[in-house]
Amino acid sequence: MIRCSLAALLAAALLAAPPPAEAQATVPVRIRVIKGSRQGPPSFDPRLENQKRQLSALAYVRWELVDERSLELAQGKTQFFTLPGGDDVGVTLQERHGNAVTIEVALAARNTQSRLTVEKGQRIVHQVSPEKGGSAVFLTVLAWP
Amino acid sequence: MEADDLSLVSKAQAGDAAAFRALVVRYQRKVYAVALGIVKDPDLAWDVAQDAFVKVHAHLGEFEGKSAFSTWLLRIATHLAIDSVRRERRSRKDDLDDVPEETLAEGGEGILATALGNDPRQNLLRRELAGKITDALADLPEKHRTILVLREVEGLSYEELAERLGIHKGTVMSRLFHARKKMQAALARYAGLRPASEADSKGEEGEG
Amino acid sequence: MSDCTKIAPLLGARDHELTAAEAAALAAHLASCDRCRAIAADLAATEGMVREGLMARANARDFSTFADEVMAKVGRAERPGLFGWIGRHRAATALGTLIPVLAAVALLMYVRIEGGREPALFELSSEGEATTVLQTADGPVVLLAEDNGS
Repeated sequence: MIRCSLAALLAAALLAAPPPAEAQATVPVRIRVIKGSRQGPPSFDPRLENQKRQLSALAYVRWELVDERSLELAQGKTQFFTLPGGDDVGVTLQERHGNAVTIEVALAARNTQSRLTVEKGQRIVHQVSPEKGGSAVFLTVLAWP
Repeated sequence: MEADDLSLVSKAQAGDAAAFRALVVRYQRKVYAVALGIVKDPDLAWDVAQDAFVKVHAHLGEFEGKSAFSTWLLRIATHLAIDSVRRERRSRKDDLDDVPEETLAEGGEGILATALGNDPRQNLLRRELAGKITDALADLPEKHRTILVLREVEGLSYEELAERLGIHKGTVMSRLFHARKKMQAALARYAGLRPASEADSKGEEGEG
Repeated sequence: MSDCTKIAPLLGARDHELTAAEAAALAAHLASCDRCRAIAADLAATEGMVREGLMARANARDFSTFADEVMAKVGRAERPGLFGWIGRHRAATALGTLIPVLAAVALLMYVRIEGGREPALFELSSEGEATTVLQTADGPVVLLAEDNGS
């Protein structure tokens, strides 16, 4: 029977201890409010470059960044964004398990609550206003940017 | 507009039904999942989950915000779920703080880890097995189902489990261990994994 | 009674749930016990499966009527009037009519990320007026249903 080294000992003990509940921890997120339009000359806000591939799935030809915030989301607390047009959106960090977070996006005006669980590296893009005059507003959430 | 739990609860306490409804929508699936783990039957779990929200609403005036709203809600849901399967609770002599030797061997040792590989989160087999969890759970007695569900779905600590279930921490730990071993044995059966103990008996304690 | 039966309940503890003495006893035992290391590996490999399995069942179920049914049960006790439980926001956007609540969408998807990374998990459940969901390699895109007649 080979005696384990200290490193292996620690590794074995760690194996036995699942990740902590992390009730008080915060998660850094980057949240953007962006607007897509079908009309007008095609243009793509250079600040949205890292989302270009994801947004290319949609039919809008113009994309502009309206607001961007980098912040720490604490579990259970809601962050609010006021959209162009005056409606409010609430973003809440519901749960965190390792590299996955569950985020709730709630739109009061549309009586919509979406609960999304995504892993690190995935960005949530959620429409937050209906399309009017060929334009629609979206909220994007990226955890651990 | 305020949307975190405590703000919604305050509004609901003041009679704002939309605020209460938002809380229902926020927690409905989690409450259902906990109920389903305990009562096994999906339709019964649906009713228990709804009853939990109705009961919470009826007692809104008593909630003072000393604990989290979700804790209060899930505590009520747990008790309603256990009550509805009360028939199952026979007096069992398994509330031991000690773990019997035979429990250690249940489900083989290491076969699930081997099958699931180095990065179990990314594994197809893991997803298949997760799909069989309700079957595996259904094989367990209510006490084991309940403690597993509260530990994993609600995320309670040993201390919180002791308080919720009215048992000692030592009992929490051994009951959880029993429950996980039994569940793993059931999962291994469903996955068609053969216990390794038949193939090699290295390191086994002396047999009778 | 073997050490294993004393040590076994210590497996699966989270941070701060074991005393220093318990943690030391655990580490010391695991250093020399194949069997308990194997048991620990099993526990680690199946960590979170109960939650995943139950939440997958919960997400797969259509919850579109759940909240309405709860509010109706609660309303029975309060009798607020026929549409008393409709929030002011819904009334404002409904222009005097009820907006139909679409079936709740619940998806559990494993998305393969381009570039050879392992599949990533995302889960979505949505109540209200979503939705269509576009599954992209970079993450979910949730679209609202179109306005009726506006």
